[in-house]
Parts: sequence; structure tokens; C-alpha cells
Amino acid sequence: MTGAATKHMALAVCTGCDIGRCIDTDQLIDATGQAFQGITCIKHGSLCSPDGQAGLRRTVMEKKVDRLAVAACSPRVMTSAFEVDGLLVERVNLREQLAWVMEPGHEDTRMCAEDQVAMALSKLDAIRTNDPYIPDPVSSDILVVGGGITGLTSALEGARAGYRVHLVERSDRLGGYAGRIHKLLPENLDSASLKEPDLYKLVSEVTGHPGVEIHLETGIRSISGEPGNFEVVIENSQVSTLHIGAVVAATGWKPYAPDKLAALGYGSGRVKTLEEFEQYVQEEQLPNRIMFILCAGSRDEDHLAYCSTFCCGAALKQALYVREKNPGAEVYIVYRDIRTPGFQEGFYKMVQADDAIFMTRGVVEKVDDQGDSVAVTVSQSLLDDLVTIHADMVVLATGMVPNTTTDLQLQYRLGKGLPELEYNFSDSHFICFPYETRRTGIYAAGTVRAPMDMEMSREDGAGAMMKAIQSIECVKRGEAVHPRSGDTTWTELYMERCTDCKRCTEECPFGSYDETEKGTPLPNPARCRRCGICVGSCPERVIGFADFNINSVSAMIKAVSMPDEFEEKPRILVFVCENDAYPALDAAGMNRLKFNPFIRIIPVRCLGSINKVWVSDALSHGYDGILQIGCKPGDNYQCHFIQGSELNEKRGENLQETLETMMLEPERIRTRFVEITDHHGIMAIINEYMEEIDLIGPNPFKSM
Amino acid sequence: MSTIVTDIAFKRELVRLSGAQLNQCMQCGNCSAVCSLAPAERPFPRKEMVWSGWGLKEKLIGNVDIWLCHQCGDCSSYCPRDVKPADVISAIRQKSYQHYARPRFLGKLVSNPAWLPLAVAIPVAVIIAILSLAGTFRIPDGPVDYSSFFPHGLLNATFSAITLLFYLLASFGIGRFWKDMKRQTPPGEAGMKRLPVFTVLGEILSHSNFSGCTSRKPGRYAHLLLFYGFALLILVTLYAIWATFTDHYPLPLTSTFKIMGNIASVMIYTALGIMTWQRLSNKKVFGKSGYSDWLLLAAIGLLTLSGTMVQLARFGNWQIAYHLYFFHLVAVWFVIMYLPFTKLGHIFYRTTAMLYARSIGRK
Repeated sequence: MTGAATKHMALAVCTGCDIGRCIDTDQLIDATGQAFQGITCIKHGSLCSPDGQAGLRRTVMEKKVDRLAVAACSPRVMTSAFEVDGLLVERVNLREQLAWVMEPGHEDTRMCAEDQVAMALSKLDAIRTNDPYIPDPVSSDILVVGGGITGLTSALEGARAGYRVHLVERSDRLGGYAGRIHKLLPENLDSASLKEPDLYKLVSEVTGHPGVEIHLETGIRSISGEPGNFEVVIENSQVSTLHIGAVVAATGWKPYAPDKLAALGYGSGRVKTLEEFEQYVQEEQLPNRIMFILCAGSRDEDHLAYCSTFCCGAALKQALYVREKNPGAEVYIVYRDIRTPGFQEGFYKMVQADDAIFMTRGVVEKVDDQGDSVAVTVSQSLLDDLVTIHADMVVLATGMVPNTTTDLQLQYRLGKGLPELEYNFSDSHFICFPYETRRTGIYAAGTVRAPMDMEMSREDGAGAMMKAIQSIECVKRGEAVHPRSGDTTWTELYMERCTDCKRCTEECPFGSYDETEKGTPLPNPARCRRCGICVGSCPERVIGFADFNINSVSAMIKAVSMPDEFEEKPRILVFVCENDAYPALDAAGMNRLKFNPFIRIIPVRCLGSINKVWVSDALSHGYDGILQIGCKPGDNYQCHFIQGSELNEKRGENLQETLETMMLEPERIRTRFVEITDHHGIMAIINEYMEEIDLIGPNPFKSM
Repeated sequence: MSTIVTDIAFKRELVRLSGAQLNQCMQCGNCSAVCSLAPAERPFPRKEMVWSGWGLKEKLIGNVDIWLCHQCGDCSSYCPRDVKPADVISAIRQKSYQHYARPRFLGKLVSNPAWLPLAVAIPVAVIIAILSLAGTFRIPDGPVDYSSFFPHGLLNATFSAITLLFYLLASFGIGRFWKDMKRQTPPGEAGMKRLPVFTVLGEILSHSNFSGCTSRKPGRYAHLLLFYGFALLILVTLYAIWATFTDHYPLPLTSTFKIMGNIASVMIYTALGIMTWQRLSNKKVFGKSGYSDWLLLAAIGLLTLSGTMVQLARFGNWQIAYHLYFFHLVAVWFVIMYLPFTKLGHIFYRTTAMLYARSIGRK
């Protein structure tokens, strides 16, 4: 940690990319030098050029600078150019958000530049470096839950990469559904000959690998702790504890309950599901007329609303079983659409080449077991308005239902399983990253997260394992995994002032906090996504990161020089979420959309990280309005931290009380949402708000 | 509500005749969409493609729509799965000729190359028998005079009688076809109109049903040439028969009818040339030209060619004149007598189907 006593701050101003043309940089340096005594200031025509960077580094070395403000382009570009080890660097965006969008040479532009520099320097003054958080002890072992094709692939990939893998399977055998399959779709999908099952190869590779420990007939009693340091209690004949770094949840699927398909004849001995028929084919003689009904209970709002993707291919494959085993048999296939994604299309065409396989689009109205045969009534086919087809046996192609993940028995206050998305499939796309769930270090793979076939499951197993490994390696370095990859700050709590109000534990979308019975938060920093929602939640203001905390933002707020009300220069504080809103502002800048020079921008980790105290600080400092712009909330969340925007809105309702006690208009605080692509929208939001504030007039606290 | 009974043997016959992988049809309906003749209600040929895939013989034989198709090939051109609906429909028509043929063996006789020797042997034997009975079965001396080989009266009488007999037999098939159409495509609530003979005649004479085709534009003109060439030759033949009674037969080369006949021959040669070239060059539209296609082209070609040769032989006093004449008579038999049972039978079946379709308002 860098001691507060030896702060050496510097300001480097770049005059390239129109900045030098827009503002008088010498004047800026003078003003800064007066406001921040003892500061070292340099300027360069192109700070990011090799010459500029060399000069910058020379200054840092010679003057023993430990905090550097770079007044140049957006922090979203040229990141590595201004990174110096051990140095706190703050970027002042004078290009995208000033030189390109404000009037050159104007007094308001100059004031904005001076304020932005002052804000950065005040922040630098208020922050510090920190030691990364690394759990102790830290484990590199990986737990794979589920011994189906996904789990097996995952375990093997992990072991091959040199990690110790514990594979836990509930039943007494490995292989899952894939292990019960009679034959597979051909590998070369242009060939109609089915492939012999090969899952035993994978099973024997896994069982033979010294890096994999297999726990059959084993359940999970609990998973507690955090990435790098999970304590997993498993239970078979005895109870034992594993020390685990990351988890892959591959708990798989089950067929849709066919009992619900009595309307399609299920219950009669002549009507079977795909899974039942897979067994039947291996054991019994096949009759001469077999009908497959596709989408049985799928793509149907009353049953499964989605497509399970594998059933068409499986049914076509079983049609070939029939033809192979009983060459005199005829197969009828009634479908709504044949869906053979990817290379399966070739296989579909091969199956079509068999002229004893008859296919029609149609909707099955009735399945009637008449004793000697089953009469299937089909409507909406081209055969006729309503037709009856007689078959000796009917196979229902039922879909996939995900297994629950509550078997993971997570000891999180947010529940024992992973969050569930639509149709009960587990969370797996936390901000667009496959396998990534809202439980850090726990990755969902295979059919538990989406319907898929065996090839996709293998891919999924491998992919999730790579994420698990990545997570362990990040944790070992004390870095955040995702989405703030590489961030080494973490939530530090000043527990002496904590009142056990539980707001942080309740509001954390990732379940980072456990709590004692009394409600005292027990942080698990390795579970943390570093969003700062707890920073925003804490009424006692005891939570913060080394470089983003109550004081650092307050310092920025107060660094702005406040003109008095007669100058007619309002000041609007804009908290901007750095995930989507800040890039949208940059894009507006690149498109040279005019910015109002009265706004002062403070990027935040998430709208949810905005603490109420900053709002009252700003109002008492004399800002005329506070605008908070973040990502869109809702079920199909764009908010990178799920609930940040929502929480901000909710807290805003409480803030209205604060405004009332200060006798201020409710319009002085405003929350708005924007998409990353909507740079015109974000400008409109700001401009509309400016007009509104103009009408209300200046903040009465301004002159106090 | 109907019960579906698959007939895999029939399906395989259609596959064999059309060369189309029927199962590959994905029922997209492109064929019906591009067809310029498909009616708006229950259009063809998509439903026929599905029925064919299921071998639904009952629905396909006696189906009025397969005759409304004029084989222009647009459906085959635009089929994304290359299932060649035009060829499938054509195969169904072939099965229909055989199905309605009475006696049945006549249908078989002209549908299978294995039976070709017998199909040739029958007219040869019959002509030899007639000539033997008349006592003229020998090569006559002197300048070429065909009546000394086959007396005109006898020729006209026997050939007309046999033709009428064959057509009478065929009419029973047509009658059954009419009943089948009525059962499968019953008239709507409006009932049946009086037979729209003139409408249909107009369609046939103008070949208007070919006009919407985009894949095979020359096809319309080829068929027009063939149609009118053929019609002209029938007219000339009727005049010739009349001329034998008025004793000014054979006709001189300068006779208007002789000239008309020769013009008709040229029309037919041109038409056959275009048709053959198209069949050989345009594989997308003509997926598989089968025996019945080539048999018809060959028979008409040989009939016309031998007719021209017979004429030349008469004026040139060629040695082989009577052999050519004999050959010509066999060709006449093939085209005219076998007509209801070959692909040329569409003259009857399509006309009947068009009459039925228009009378129930299907267009």
C-alpha cells in the first residue's frame, strides 16, 4: 500500500487530436498548478507516441510520481500506453468528451476542462493501491457435477490440462442418457450408416485418467466458500469434504414427462417415447408399421414451448433402426417441421432416400389404440383435410427438460441452485458469456443450460472447463474473473461502523455476502464481481474499493468549482455507467455531437454503486441537477450487474424524501437508461434534462 | 376423413419412371407457387408430390389436376430439392394410360421396351394377314402403284375399322376416368356447368395454357407446330381417302393437298427437332426422358419420314418403294391405333380432364 504521506502527483496533457486547438493547454496547466500545489505538469503534442510515452515515463521516474492524471483521449483507448506498474493513473477525457464536442476557445469549455482535470486529481488524491485478495488456502481442484457426456468431456479436458478433477455422479454408472443410446448419428453425415456407440471410449479414458477421481452414487450435501476455496461436502456411503477451486455443473436433462401426453395416446402399450423405443429396439421384434410423431409436447405452449433440437435427428435415426431390423417395415413420420440443424441436414437427406420411410407435415389430432392397431388422425397435412393412418406402434419424440441445479446445494443466501432463465434452464450467459453464471466460479454446461445434442454437449463440457480453469487462475492472482477481468481491487469493509442492516447482503446480485445469524455480512471477495452495488447500498458508507469509494467520488464531486447563481452557468453532475453509457458518450464524441459544457461527468462501475451520500454531497455543493445514466434493467438484462439499474431506480424513490427535507424539486435527480449503441439517445437525454433544469432554475444551496 | 394406405410398389414405379427422389420433397410449395396453371384452390403439384411420396395410387390415378399440367417444367426448374415435379406428374400420367387401357395388355405393350418387338409384330402380322387374304402380298411389277400392293378400298376399310375398334375400347377407359374424376374431385356447390366445349377448344387451338411457362419457351412453338402439322396431315389423309372414291388418286405433286401435306411434314420435322434438342440439352426441366417420351418422338418421326420417302419413291419409281410403304403402314399403326395407350393418349385424357375441370369451375 502506498502511504498517504508521500503523494507525488503529476498531470500530463496531450495537445494532439484537436485538444490543443480547442483549449489553451498552458492556461490549463497554470490553473492546475495553482489549485494543486507541488504538482508536476508536462505536455506533449502526441502523448501516446513513442517520444511522448518516453517523456512521460522519464518524468514519472525523475519526479518519483505515484499518481498520474493523463489529460488526453478516452480511457477506452490507448489503455496500455499509459499504464505504468505501481502507478495510479486517472484518465481525463479531453478528446471524445471535450475537444471534439465543445466550442473551441470558449470560456465554458475552458472551465469544463479545468474541472475535469481537478476531478481526476482529487480522485487520485483520495485513492490508493491495494494488495489483491487471494483466498487462503487456494485450491486448483475442479468439481464436475454430472457424469453424462458433458461432465465426462469436461472432466477429461480438465485432467488433460493438468488439473485434478472430482467427478460426482448420482447414479451407479457413468454415461448418462448418451450412454444408453443404441447407435449414433453417422460421423460423416453424408452417409446413412449409423455409428456404433462410442461413449464407452470416453468413459474408459476418464476412468483411466489419474487426474480424475470418480465419485459414483454420490450426492452433494453442500457447497460453501468461494472460488479457489470452495468446501464441498459429498455423501455416498460416507460423508467427505473436498477442497475445490471451481465447479462445472453438468447435471443434464430428463425427457418431458410423457404422462402429460395422454392426448397422443401415451399409456397404451403401443405408444412409446424415444427413450423407451431406444431400449425396445434392442430387445424386441419390430412390427411392420411404425409411426413417429415429432414435436410431441414440444413447441407447444401447453407443454414445452421450445424446440429441444435433438429429437428430429433421434427420430430419423430410430426410423433407420426400424428399417435395418425389419426390412419389410414401413415408417411413417408426422412432423411440424423437420429441424436438422447444421450438418444433420445431410443425414436427413440420407434418411429420405429410403423409400419405405414416409414423411408428411401434419398436426396429430388423435391417437386411438384400436386393439389390433393404432389409428392416428392427422389434420393440416397435404394428404387430405383429415386423414387416419394406421400403425402398429407409435413413437412420441418428446423433448428435453433440464434437471434442477439445486442438487449443487449451494450455501448462498440466494438459493441452493443456479439462477434459472426461461423454461427453467440454468443461467449460463451472464452478460453474453457462455457457461458464465451469476455464481462466480460455477459454470453451467450441457443440457442443463440449453437443449442440445451430443456433439454440442461435448463442446459445452470442454468450454465450461476452460472457464473453470480461467477462474481458478484469476483467483490465484487475486483478479476478478468477469466482466471486470483483471481487476485486483475488492470490497473492503470497515466493520466497526457496520450496523448489520443487511442491505449489502440482500442487494448483492451475486450472493457474494454470507451473513451471520445476527445479520453481520461475511464477504466472500472471490465471489465478487466488483460492481460496487454494495458500495451504493451501504447507509453507513463502510464499503469501498481502494480506487472507488465514498471518499474518492465525493472528492471528485467537490473538486468542481461552482459559479454562483448570477453567472448563469448551471452545473449538472452526470453519473455515467462505465459499461454502456460511457461508451455511448464516447461514440457521441466520435460523431461530433455537441455536448453541453455545463455537464460534469463521473463514470461509475454500475448505477447500483451510486451511494446516496454522493447525491446529497452534490446538492449541497451547488449542482443544479444530477443525472444518472445506466444500462436497461429488466429480465433480458442489459445491466451488466443484473440489478444495478433497477436498484438505482428503487433507491431514487427513497431519495425523494431527502430532496423533500432539503426543500428541493424532485426533478433535481433523474435516472435514465440507454443502450450502448444509442449515442444519439444519450445526447437527447442530457439535452432534455438541461432544458428542464433551466426551467427550474438554480439550486438554492449554490451560494451557501 | 380418409384412411391412408400406402402403396410402396406404386411409389417405386413413379420413382423409376420419373427418376425423382420423391422422399426429398420437403413440401415447401415452390412448385405450386411458380406454376402458371395451378388453380388458387388446392393447387398442384405440391399435393401430388406428397401423395406420390406416400404411394397414394387411389388419389393420383383419376386425378384431374395431373392432366391440367402441360409439362412446361417451371416447377422442376424452381424445385429447391431437385425432386422434378414435372417428371413425377408425367410419370403419373404414364401410369394412368396403363391403368385405363382396355384390354390391359395394350397399355403394357407400349409402355415397356421389352414388349416393343411384339408391339411391332402385331401390325406386321395383321397387315401380312390382310394382304395374304387379298392375295396381293408380293412386290408388284411396273411403275410404282401402291394400290396394286394394298388396294386403297381395303386399306381404308380395314385400318378405319381397327382404329375405330381401338378407340371404342379406349372410350371405356375414358368413361371410367370421368367417373374417377367425379369421385375424387366432386363438383362444388355450384354443380356442373354444361360442357364448355368451345372454351376448351379455344384453349387447345390457341395453346394458351403454354403461355405462362418461363422454363421452356420454345416448347410452346414446337407443340404448336406439331399440333397443326399433325392436324393438317389428318386433313390431307381424309381428303386422300375421299379422293380414292372420286378416282383421282394418287394426287399429283402439284395438288394443293399434296403441297399442304409436305408443308405439314416440314412443320413436324421442325417441331421434333426442337423437342429432341430440348430433351437432350435441358436436363433441369427434362430430368429423365423415358421410354414413352422417346417412343412417341420416334414413332411420329418415323411416320412422317416414311411418308415422305413413300411419296419420293412413287415419283422416283424406287425399287424399295413397297418396303417403305409397308414400313409406313406399321408406323401409322403405332401412332394412330396405339394412340390412346401411348403418351399421345393425352389428346383424349387431357381434353376430357379440361372439359371436366372447366365444367366444375376449376381453373
